[in-house]
Amino acid sequence: MAASISGYTFSSVCYHSANSNSDHEGFLLGEVRQEETVSISDTQISTAELIQVVEIHNHDPCAQLFSFYDYAGKINEESLNSILKDRRKNVIGWYRFRRNTQQQMSFREQIIHKQLTQLLGVPDLVFLLFSFISTANSSTHALEYVLFRPNRSRYNQRITLTIPNLGNTSQQEYKVSSVPNTSLNYTQVIKEHGAEFFDKDGVMKDIRTIFQVYSALQDKVQAVCGEVEQSERVREKIQEDVNKLKQQIALRKRKTAEEERKLRESENADSHPTSEENTDPSEASSQSRINFHTPPAPERPSTSPNPPSYADLLTQDDSLLSSSSPPTSAALLPRPQAVGSPGHPTPGPLGIGLGLGLGLGASSNPVTTPSSPYLGNGDGSSSDSLDRQAAGQEDDEEDDDDEEDEDSSEYENLLSEAPHLPLVSASVLAQGRPAALSPDGDARGSQTT
Amino acid sequence: MNNISPEVALHRISPELRPLLCSVVRNGRVGLDSTNCLRVTDLKTGCTTLTPGPSCDRFKLHIPYAGETLKWDIIFNAQYPELPPDFIFGEDAEFLPEPSELPHLVQWDAGNPECLLQLVKELIQQYHDYQCQRLRESSRLLFEYGSLLEDPNYGRNMEIYAGRKNSWTGEFSARFLLKLPVDFSNIPVYLLKDTALDPGEDVALLSVSFEDAEATQVFPKLYLSPSIEHALGGSSALHIPAFPSGGCLIDYVPQVCQLLTNKVQYVIQGYHKRREYIAAFLSHFGTGVVEYDAEGFTKLTLLLMWKDFCFLVHVDLPLYFPRDQPTLTFQSVYHFTNSGQLYSQVQKSYPYSPRWDGNEMAKRAKAYFKTFIPQFQEGAFANGKL
Repeated sequence: MAASISGYTFSSVCYHSANSNSDHEGFLLGEVRQEETVSISDTQISTAELIQVVEIHNHDPCAQLFSFYDYAGKINEESLNSILKDRRKNVIGWYRFRRNTQQQMSFREQIIHKQLTQLLGVPDLVFLLFSFISTANSSTHALEYVLFRPNRSRYNQRITLTIPNLGNTSQQEYKVSSVPNTSLNYTQVIKEHGAEFFDKDGVMKDIRTIFQVYSALQDKVQAVCGEVEQSERVREKIQEDVNKLKQQIALRKRKTAEEERKLRESENADSHPTSEENTDPSEASSQSRINFHTPPAPERPSTSPNPPSYADLLTQDDSLLSSSSPPTSAALLPRPQAVGSPGHPTPGPLGIGLGLGLGLGASSNPVTTPSSPYLGNGDGSSSDSLDRQAAGQEDDEEDDDDEEDEDSSEYENLLSEAPHLPLVSASVLAQGRPAALSPDGDARGSQTT
Repeated sequence: MNNISPEVALHRISPELRPLLCSVVRNGRVGLDSTNCLRVTDLKTGCTTLTPGPSCDRFKLHIPYAGETLKWDIIFNAQYPELPPDFIFGEDAEFLPEPSELPHLVQWDAGNPECLLQLVKELIQQYHDYQCQRLRESSRLLFEYGSLLEDPNYGRNMEIYAGRKNSWTGEFSARFLLKLPVDFSNIPVYLLKDTALDPGEDVALLSVSFEDAEATQVFPKLYLSPSIEHALGGSSALHIPAFPSGGCLIDYVPQVCQLLTNKVQYVIQGYHKRREYIAAFLSHFGTGVVEYDAEGFTKLTLLLMWKDFCFLVHVDLPLYFPRDQPTLTFQSVYHFTNSGQLYSQVQKSYPYSPRWDGNEMAKRAKAYFKTFIPQFQEGAFANGKL
């Protein structure tokens, strides 16, 4: 059982009591209700707890002692009615105030309580006992209050009486009392001025306004989402076009390179006999092989008609790894490096991104070559620094670079940074796998140190 | 617990309530144990602290009952002194007397100073009934109570305190306080006078404590009012037989009663015997009597002469005369000892029989003097100096 008394009722009772020059008594008006709390915990599905809540709303002080009972403690029902009048049905208990006495029900109080329980027909009538204790020099006074329910068993008689909002309200919420407001004045004022704050449904107007703002914002966000989707699609399409164009460039370059080689071979075949023919074709073939095995460089001759997308690069990467062929796979992964890291001017992130198909750009920042700074200016000379690390493979690189340069000049407008890409990617690749070199003397692989 | 003397209590209490408290504090004796009167403590006021003058109207009353002390709060209202008081019965939270059984409450008359005292007595009676009800928890003790109740000697003078020693787990225990119907009226007055305290009523109380419901641990104790105790010869008079295991009160109490009665009889008889003795000596020795205790008849001094030798004889009669022999002290009137006292000799054993009457004792004493004096004289001359 829980009990509560509103702060103003409590203070009113205290006021009446403290101002009386003798013991004081009166009746408590309020309501009793049953509250069922269902709680769910990990150990039990649900536990229902039924408690009785006593709420004291008001009090009715008696003007004098022995006003409704006689010396023997017998209640006179007529006097009781004349005191309570029509409030009789609201009585849930009674109280008594006495100074300097023990917190125990007295003989007469017990007798009266029994009779009141019967007369008022309240089975769980409560009794609130106030006790006022003063120190000898009147410096400290203590008001003690105990709520009894004497009709219960002897050992379970005291109930805690709470006074809502009496305490530290900065840490607790202000509890709204469920005491019904019976004030006519209050109802009148609210009726008059309520329309300014509440709309016809009884909801505060401010709430509606805020809700409208919220809805508007939601709509805008939805619209923006659509736009983003659109732009993303456009971008995707453009990306595809770019990739196609790159493939075409690569193809064309390959063709021109092959033609030149054929011309040279034919010239060489005329001047030199077999050995060189052996080496050159092997060289050429090795080159072609090498070139074949370095996928991310679009201008390298590759068997695939289209330059692979990023996803494909990754899968290729896996296949390369599995075949334990020249290690360039790791280089595909973006290397987290700070933008503007020392010694390396940042190539345009956009260009890098385009070159590698997707947003590798931001992460694959200018590579740090251990020995020499990268002078990414689009010339073949820039790549020389990287290439020089390779042992005996510089020729190929230079050739490649020349090829790249030639190609890049054609496409300067479109892909100004394109030449950077293969270089970057190469360097990225180079950085990626320093250790695993193919015994074939892969130019790319050997570049990595 | 501040012990307030009655005067202080009366001073602090509100003037309108003073007469009521007066009769309680001054004359208030309730219950069997009237040697302990009612005490008042914790005098407090129910008025505001601004009220001037003595305004206390509530206090704690200590009431001796069945060997326990009941502490009841009595609550008046100084501003309404005509109203009857309220009570808080201390730890006996279940004691709720029926107001119809308390006539002095129903017809409370604040003008009658005895009203409060009477009300308290009625409450004690109700409390007694309540305790007897509690005896029902033990059939054995209930039987004891029932059997005693039937006996008219004890039934009406009984106080019972029953309950659990420890209200939760303790053994059920009970204490019977019985007033023993022993007649002390014939005890010679002189014996009773010699006490520093107000003797009060002469009463003998037997307290029997049952520490368990099966009556296996029983502790009897006898309480005598101070004058009786003194008359019967001090605390040695309080030796009573132990409670026989398996016995009942209805057998034991009369036993103790008889013992006490016998003792009293003995004392009374002793007095009469002594009186007789002294009277006999007076008649035999006539002018030889120097002085004697005319109240208690415990002493007698004679001045006798034998062959021109004068000597004194002091006779000391013990309490349990004639069972115990009187002590004769012979004293020379001439001779001194080294310490400056008169030379004397004490004789405790001489021909004597408790069955002689006073006359016979006087005659025999005379005969004994005649035989003993010569050697006393010699002794005096030999050891004393003039």
